[in-house]
Amino acid sequence: MDPQGFPGELVSVDLGASSATIRVDPATYPLDALYGAAYIFIDRCFVLLDKPDASYRVTLAWKKREATEDDLRALVGEFANELLSCAWRAKISEDSRALIESVTAQALGGAMGPPTLDELEKFDFSDETFEDPLGIAMSWEEKHRKKARPDDANPVDGDNVTDRKP
Amino acid sequence: MTTLRLPRDLYPGSALDEALGVFAEHGTFERKDEPSHWVVHITARSPERERRVAGELGNYALGLTVKGRKRS
Repeated sequence: MDPQGFPGELVSVDLGASSATIRVDPATYPLDALYGAAYIFIDRCFVLLDKPDASYRVTLAWKKREATEDDLRALVGEFANELLSCAWRAKISEDSRALIESVTAQALGGAMGPPTLDELEKFDFSDETFEDPLGIAMSWEEKHRKKARPDDANPVDGDNVTDRKP
Repeated sequence: MTTLRLPRDLYPGSALDEALGVFAEHGTFERKDEPSHWVVHITARSPERERRVAGELGNYALGLTVKGRKRS
């Protein structure tokens, strides 16, 4: 029997067994989402997972009382909603995995304390390009060096200014 | 007798083993595993009790499976 409002090729109910069977497409719903949704229903139903072909098959059977068609229809709807929710959470978790790992690594790195001199000596600074769009990354000597005059054939560095006495 | 068939792809054998240990006193269990499924024949004092034991056994194995995946 097909519950009203659901595609017959995906959902079927068995009133005699008080159970509903749902087919789940693995391309749409990952296995972790299926496990998550199924786990939520084990307090109300006997949940059985199977994989008879390319798709998963979930059987939900009422535990204690005889179920009506409306009961089973509501059960299927709740499971489908929960499955969608779990799939969406799994997608968000997957998308943010790199960010979470990065933040965790930084937190762990900070908790390890300052680096030792040996670690600093071995650190490779060459792999990061240093950007200085405002031109402020220069030493005091470079910044205050005397400008060479056009008629001065032998310009002298700012450090040697005291040597140029008249 | 009631038969419970759990696909090996979805239920690890360790989860079923642990579940069988927990439910040992609620019925008689006989395993005859197949290449694709773990198969358990369950015998209890009534068909209704067999259905309940089979369902709870499957739920318990599923719960252990999910918890095992969260840990890994």
